[in-house]
Amino acid sequence: MMQTQKPHLIRLEVNYRGIFQKTLAYHISGDVVYAAHKEGKTAFSNGRYSDDPQRNGIPCANFAYFSKDLTEEDLEAEASASMDITEAEVVVVLDDTMVKGLEPWGGYGIRPINEKVVKDGVVLIVSNRKPADLIAQMEKKKFPYRIAILPGEASFAGLWYFKDDMTDVRVLGAIAKVAPEIASIDTVANYVASKYKSKEKAAAARKAYEEVKVSTVNAGEGIDWPYPKPILPGWKDFDEGVYVKGVKRGFQMGPRGQNRNPDFKRGTSKTQRPVVRFDLCTKCTLCWYDCPDEVFDPTTDGLYDVNYEYCTGCGRCAEVCPVEDCIVMVDELKFENQDSPYVLYKKDPENYVKWAEDKKGKERLMPSPVTGKGSTVSKVETPKPFKKGVVK
Amino acid sequence: MVEEVEEFKNANLYKGVHAVDLEELYTSGHRTCQGCESALVMRDFVKASGPRTVVTGATGCMYVANTSYMTTPWIVPWMHTQLAAGGASAVGMAAGLKALMRKGKIPKEKINVINFSGDLGAGDEGLGGLSGAMQSPYDLLVIVYDNESAANTDIQASGLTTWGAQTTFSPTGPAKRILHERWKKNLAAMMAIGHPNVKYVATSCATFPPTDYMNKVKKALSIGGPTLIHTIDPCPKGWDYHPRYSHVLGELAVKTGIFADYEIVNGEVRYTYDLRNKKRTPVREYLEKQGRFSHFLDEDYEYVQAKVDEMWDEWELPGILPIKAGLKVKK
Repeated sequence: MMQTQKPHLIRLEVNYRGIFQKTLAYHISGDVVYAAHKEGKTAFSNGRYSDDPQRNGIPCANFAYFSKDLTEEDLEAEASASMDITEAEVVVVLDDTMVKGLEPWGGYGIRPINEKVVKDGVVLIVSNRKPADLIAQMEKKKFPYRIAILPGEASFAGLWYFKDDMTDVRVLGAIAKVAPEIASIDTVANYVASKYKSKEKAAAARKAYEEVKVSTVNAGEGIDWPYPKPILPGWKDFDEGVYVKGVKRGFQMGPRGQNRNPDFKRGTSKTQRPVVRFDLCTKCTLCWYDCPDEVFDPTTDGLYDVNYEYCTGCGRCAEVCPVEDCIVMVDELKFENQDSPYVLYKKDPENYVKWAEDKKGKERLMPSPVTGKGSTVSKVETPKPFKKGVVK
Repeated sequence: MVEEVEEFKNANLYKGVHAVDLEELYTSGHRTCQGCESALVMRDFVKASGPRTVVTGATGCMYVANTSYMTTPWIVPWMHTQLAAGGASAVGMAAGLKALMRKGKIPKEKINVINFSGDLGAGDEGLGGLSGAMQSPYDLLVIVYDNESAANTDIQASGLTTWGAQTTFSPTGPAKRILHERWKKNLAAMMAIGHPNVKYVATSCATFPPTDYMNKVKKALSIGGPTLIHTIDPCPKGWDYHPRYSHVLGELAVKTGIFADYEIVNGEVRYTYDLRNKKRTPVREYLEKQGRFSHFLDEDYEYVQAKVDEMWDEWELPGILPIKAGLKVKK
């Protein structure tokens, strides 16, 4: 039998926030294929089927494949037959809060962002953070790989109003830097200039090529991933009939007192989480009443605990809360765990308030109603001090 | 807000948000969007109806969201049915329970049968089945959660989409700015007027005014017979706004009057949020907070405002009965 040589194949994964970055991710994964075509490579891209229907904030992925020697049919047969890819040479991350883990659907588990990256592969993240801060939340690997940071804020928009802040072409320029075997920067810049008929966009791609900072992540750098990979039942394990086991009824007052869906937690959708100043709370119940993910646990003293495992970080609680600065949405990357804030508060109210104010900082980010129109930042002069006597 | 009327004295209406039951029967862990209003519509109706409830859901985003790969947030029994079969499934379920009780196979007790269908499921495709359910002799409640699009398949226009909105069926473009030229189908009124036996039809917003929606569910279940509640559900995905503002848009939909909030009890119309001969919030405040109207010019805002003004100032019954239903007698 003839020894078959491994064909030349480059796999690229684009991780993005559902809906918010859908248009952006489709620009990137489409354009990178066209650019590779210009260099005579075979290439195609596709969205991950099970991501649809997409939901706001849910982690989603597009894939693109490139080869120097395979025909289109062979490349499709080689690469696109499975639902998800198992390995990727290039992992693009369009929102840095996704380094905390990905849980796109039930039964998937919370998986690390660098799960697919191969030895000497690259994780390219759009972020304003230092590589060390991001690696500190990523899983440790047994082999070295590279991390590349493209400076910038995560670009969020909606389905109809697209924020054209050039993030799409900047990421293309960065891909040319970290994986020139897909397409060179000249090819990318020329393609961008001709597609968008814009010299500025081509210049932005070239600038990003210069700006992107690449460093090596050594074997063993990172954390032990805290979430287990779920073992899915095979077809022989299913009972007869088509049914899904409901959540067992169960409720008691206090943190984690409500029974919830144990197999799908949804928490990796959030880019921000609500920080609650329990000492300012007037017990109006509106945060609990308006929460579409049922994450607030009622307690016997009328306060509401937050279950961050299930919180999707929409910000409705912060919006309906009638007390200024009582619930504030804070960047998810500032937190290390999902502990109950109510328990922390009860243990040591004074320290909790100090901790909460430290997390909140002095800046308040207010998104405009139409997501693609950006956010406004306001300064809070001095965060309110801890008031003794308000606690009941 | 809560009025104790004779026919609802057994409905155990919530008197304020502090009286609302704390236990969840539709709980966390569903694959909905951040800030999803429809998730609240589910959670609140089952909270109001209590644990002795069976639910059927027609295909739509709230079906797919609630069965992510063999997991579910439902605690009460819930059954999926086909896109247009919402009404029929509720009839079948109610009839089945009645037969089982009559034959002594299950104890006799009140079990609430609730179907939820989307605006496409109930208002367009399942309209026949919905009409059949409304003509049936069974106790059932159909909740139409209206996010003004086929949201599950990434936002196609339905018969209940607001005039001018961008959807995948009606994108804006250089040749034609406004592609969606239908005015919103008046579903709740159509069901109330067309089905004289139905004792309770209401429109509502899940979060504004607080407890109003849950109390409407309680009223519908206590009055008996087939009933219908049509809710307006701001959808951060399809309407293109930041999920933080879902309740803001729900409140504005009611306060601007673009969505009339009322209930029809035994043929009597009661406006929950009465905007007749009152100063209303300009519709523009509601529209410009949504990316799906980002292509609107001043004339478009004025057109929608004029239609809303006409509804509240000139209709025989604002939100329900148009000026002579648009018909004239031939002279």
